Amino acid sequence: MRELRPTLDKSLKDVKGTLVRARDPAYREAKHEVEAFNAAYCAVLDDGDLEDWPEFFTEDGFYNIVSRENFDYGLPVGLVYCEGKNMMRDRALAIAKTSMFGPRYLRHYMTNTRISEIGENGMIRAETNYMLIEVLSELPSGRIHQAGRMQDVFETQDDGRLLLKSRVAIYDTLLVHNALVLPV
Amino acid sequence: MTTLPGSSDCPRCQKEMGIEMDWFKTVKASTVLDEGSVATEVDGLRVALWAVDGEIYATGNICTHAFAYLTDGHVENGCVECPLHQGLFDIRSGKALRAPVSKDLATFAVKQEDGYVWIDVNTPGPKSEASPAVTSAIGTDDRTLVVVGAGQAGAETVIALRKLGFGGRIVMVGAEPHPPYERPSLSKGLLLGKRKLEDALVFEPDQAEELMLDLKLGATVVAIETEDKTITLEGGESLAYDILILATGARPRELECTGSDNTEIHYLRDLGDAERLGGALRNAGKVAIVGGGFIGLELASAARKLGAEVTVIEAQSRLMTRLLPAGPANHLADIARENGVEIELDAHIINVSDKGVGLSDGRVIEADCIIAGIGAVPNDDLAGPAGIRTAERGGIIVDMVSRTNLPGVYAVGDVAVRQDHSDGPMLRMESWQNARLSAERAARHITKLNPGAEDDPWFWSDLFDITVQIFGHVNADMPVVRRDGEEAPVFMAQDAIGRVRCVIDFGDPSALREAKTLMADGQPLAADGSGARNSEEDDMKHQPIESRFVWPTDGLVSVPDWVYTDKEIYDREVERIFHGRTWNYVGLECEVPSPGDFIRSYVGPTPVVVSRDEDGEVHVFENRCSHRAAEFCRELRGNASEFVCPYHEWSYDLKGNLAGVPFRRGANGAGGMPTDFNPADHGLCKLNVARRGGVVFASYSDDVESFEDYLGDEMLKDYDAVFSGRKLKLLGHYRHTIMGNWKLYPENLKDPYHATLLHTFLVTFGLLVAGNKSAMICDPKGRHSTMASAKSDKAVSEDNKKEMRAYRDGMSLSDKRLMDFVPEFDSPWSVTMQVVWPNLIVQREMNTLGVRQIVPNGPNEFTMIWTMFGYEDDDDEMTRHRLRQGNLMGPAGYLGIEDNEAIKFVQDGMLNSTPARHTVQLDPDVPAGTSETLISEAAIRALYQHWREEMGL
Ligand SMILES: Cc1cc2nc3c(=O)[nH]c(=O)nc-3n(C[C@H](O)[C@H](O)[C@H](O)COP(=O)(O)OP(=O)(O)OC[C@H]3O[C@@H](n4cnc5c(N)ncnc54)[C@H](O)[C@@H]3O)c2cc1C
Ligand code: FES
Ligand SMILES: [Fe+2]
Repeated sequence: MRELRPTLDKSLKDVKGTLVRARDPAYREAKHEVEAFNAAYCAVLDDGDLEDWPEFFTEDGFYNIVSRENFDYGLPVGLVYCEGKNMMRDRALAIAKTSMFGPRYLRHYMTNTRISEIGENGMIRAETNYMLIEVLSELPSGRIHQAGRMQDVFETQDDGRLLLKSRVAIYDTLLVHNALVLPV
Repeated sequence: MTTLPGSSDCPRCQKEMGIEMDWFKTVKASTVLDEGSVATEVDGLRVALWAVDGEIYATGNICTHAFAYLTDGHVENGCVECPLHQGLFDIRSGKALRAPVSKDLATFAVKQEDGYVWIDVNTPGPKSEASPAVTSAIGTDDRTLVVVGAGQAGAETVIALRKLGFGGRIVMVGAEPHPPYERPSLSKGLLLGKRKLEDALVFEPDQAEELMLDLKLGATVVAIETEDKTITLEGGESLAYDILILATGARPRELECTGSDNTEIHYLRDLGDAERLGGALRNAGKVAIVGGGFIGLELASAARKLGAEVTVIEAQSRLMTRLLPAGPANHLADIARENGVEIELDAHIINVSDKGVGLSDGRVIEADCIIAGIGAVPNDDLAGPAGIRTAERGGIIVDMVSRTNLPGVYAVGDVAVRQDHSDGPMLRMESWQNARLSAERAARHITKLNPGAEDDPWFWSDLFDITVQIFGHVNADMPVVRRDGEEAPVFMAQDAIGRVRCVIDFGDPSALREAKTLMADGQPLAADGSGARNSEEDDMKHQPIESRFVWPTDGLVSVPDWVYTDKEIYDREVERIFHGRTWNYVGLECEVPSPGDFIRSYVGPTPVVVSRDEDGEVHVFENRCSHRAAEFCRELRGNASEFVCPYHEWSYDLKGNLAGVPFRRGANGAGGMPTDFNPADHGLCKLNVARRGGVVFASYSDDVESFEDYLGDEMLKDYDAVFSGRKLKLLGHYRHTIMGNWKLYPENLKDPYHATLLHTFLVTFGLLVAGNKSAMICDPKGRHSTMASAKSDKAVSEDNKKEMRAYRDGMSLSDKRLMDFVPEFDSPWSVTMQVVWPNLIVQREMNTLGVRQIVPNGPNEFTMIWTMFGYEDDDDEMTRHRLRQGNLMGPAGYLGIEDNEAIKFVQDGMLNSTPARHTVQLDPDVPAGTSETLISEAAIRALYQHWREEMGL
């Protein structure tokens, strides 16, 4: 679980080490895996299959969407704050079944994947940029809803799948347009 | 002809039973069709014949209100307007349509034969529509309503109640031996013997029985026991009530001076007075009238008619100094003088005796009849001991629906003093119209109807053969424009921006109609007193804002779109509200814990800096360099020893004082500031600061009350539950925009109705249930509020489920911790959402705490800045609990999403469709203010009551 006071991921600040790791086959492999994971993750959210979204997390997974402002000042408040897959299930259910909001399309883009650490038992630490475009009925031309980065910890399961043990989405676009309805 | 059993031979009785048709030939039909109206007499009755759309109708020709021929009136759209007081009747049905007339005209059957109009005075004309029987509801309600005082206001209350369907028992107790009557003719027709008591009765014959009114006359109420809801009559009898109407009227103020105890002084309030005074006047040679008000002048008129010499003695330097501006008041005095009345102004009475009235200058005004008309004292003696609030200057204090401070107790008519909210102005009116309207307001409230449109005040007086009428609100200081009609002048009193607010008419119907049009127009008059042209759009733009934005006449139950969409209104809000006498949230002290700490913030849309100085004091100043206006502070937060504007490096200390101006003395002896430049005059624009419980507020106003007085005791309780002195711990911010008017946000939190309907989540998971313990509490001014509820484990009832379309059964949370409530507050509520007007919402949603700051960006958009916090003594688990519960709120919160969306939808509706009004009618029980039910919009109405005051609109 994430510390209450978030900290910068120091390993990414090590330019030389990062470049060396980028050539490491294990890291290249991990990068592909993470990218494939994220592609599936985005597809589920973009299709609006909200109730499948918790399936990307471990049972004790952590999920948080936090502004860069809060993150940089070490403040823990997030737009969404889920401790454990059950809280994610509840969010998926609440948004899908009880919430009122205008119809919208969302499109996620995840790029610039960096693998910062491969640990024991298939633990992978990664960072990925993300962008979220939203299209509303009153705004058919769409606009950027969020831009930011994901700070992730993956866990490799017995069957070889990756699952998220922690995903913190840190958004630079401090001013949220109206409401953020779906997870990023 | 059949003879019915029990019928007599008396032709009159036969007529009454409608057995006989008595046709009388009148005038030529063509005359009626040509002239539109013809007066005639049939069988001793004065009848009017009318042509409406080619049909001929016959009605009584004398107004049911006072003596006037309707055929002299103005006919339009099938209605006739009485020439005397502009009462309105429908010609076809005889229906009385507009005050002051309340009784319908008689109508008569009409036929045309041989080119003549025939009428039958014993058969009414065809009824247009049967009015529903007022009594059908009687018995449907087991409450007893008691009216104390059988005067006009009491009687009008009973009539209105029955008309509106009140089905309970009604008892009326009156001290006088007569059934309720209208007093105006006491000083007019009745005094001169031209009218009889029967003409002035409020109830028509048999009406009291029809209304199932239990009328107890000659009975005085001596006490009210509000605890056990009874009243006691003189003689000891007691009566129980569920609803009590106090309609005790007023009594004449007594003249007190040497000799007043043993000299006969006449007063006029009731029929007994009028009979005595009538006798005295007929025998009097010289009459002295103390007091130059309307009653005094009417009596002067009556006394002159009876041939007496009359002197009116007035203490002020002109007549009616408090009531009327000088122009119309002096015109009245001139009329009196022309009719032979002596008027003594600035006259101070030393004594009275059987010789007359002695003045301070040594003169004696000789008189064999002395009358005092020096005002009335409200009969409010019953109220005080019963715990009913009275005004210092007399009268029972009521609100806009005639309620006193005690539930179920109302006051109407002359005894009531209206005050719309707790520190608003008090107004007591003594007029026929007020007796009726205040009665109607009470009746509407009792029968759970909206207050209805507010009529402008109207008053009339008949004297020296003319009728004076006052329409609208007037006071003595208003500027007045005089227009001379053909027969008499009309005066128009204006408000500060030149709009006609009151018309004072001396009996010229066409001048009056024109003046009333100008008043209805709402446009200021041009400088020369002529009506401003208002047809052209250009002219509109030059009209002041008050006449371009006029609130709907039906009052607070509708809110016009321009309140939310107009830029000019928005600019005025910034000036009058955010920059006015308000306290605006700017930040938490825990955001600037140490000396040198600062944050950027806003007051309304205006950027400010909140800084803590070396001594620990918190300062708030505009984020605008005093040199060239640069918004110098760009960081969201930080720590600094001084603020330096990046452009020319002017520097300011932590208090906002100008500390340094580079090259102030120039370079090499050249350039630089003028020698008299004083840095002390060029500091940043500083705001006043208030702090309470770790929260910082700022105000542009130097005469704003203390923050504690601003919030008031009741609101402070909810506020202090959150800001109890426990040190706050900052947890983070959210920022988001909403494409809606900023007021929709506070309104959303004054709208408990939406909570159970929009927020299905709350209902589904048992956080809020219709019928839960909850409250919507407003401060007395209507600006601040708390929406509160207590968590309940009760299930939603089947009935309530049906009302809530979106309700979904059988859903439950997998992680129940979201709904845990850890008690930690000194409050009966588990949830409070408090609006601190104008820009703060304090959120206590169980254990997730936050403040929301509203930053408007024009009429159609605002930014919300949320600051979430916990307490310093929270352990990690408590902080996590607050964060978990935070999922309910914020721009991605289960409730937050929905409110933001709903507000956007509302603004879209206004911007994209035809401008119209919002309807906020729920819960007529509470016209504006605190309500016990969630199904209420009373708090929104209270907000707009306050907003209109602040905005002067
Ligand atoms: C002479 C005169 C001329 C007027 N002319 C005009 C005019 O031209 N135009 C105009 O607009 N207005 C006029 N008015 C004002 C108007 O008549 C009053 O505003 C109106 O009568 C008020 O009605 P009310 O029911 O409040 O009081 P009232 O009509 O005074 O009725 C109150 C009743 O309550 C009774 N009462 C009081 N205490 C008790 C008790 N403890 N127990 C039982 N009964 C009690 C009183 O005896 C009285 O009958 C005039 C008033 C007067 C006196
Ligand atoms: S006399 Fe007709 S309205 Fe008054
Ligand atoms: Fe809401």
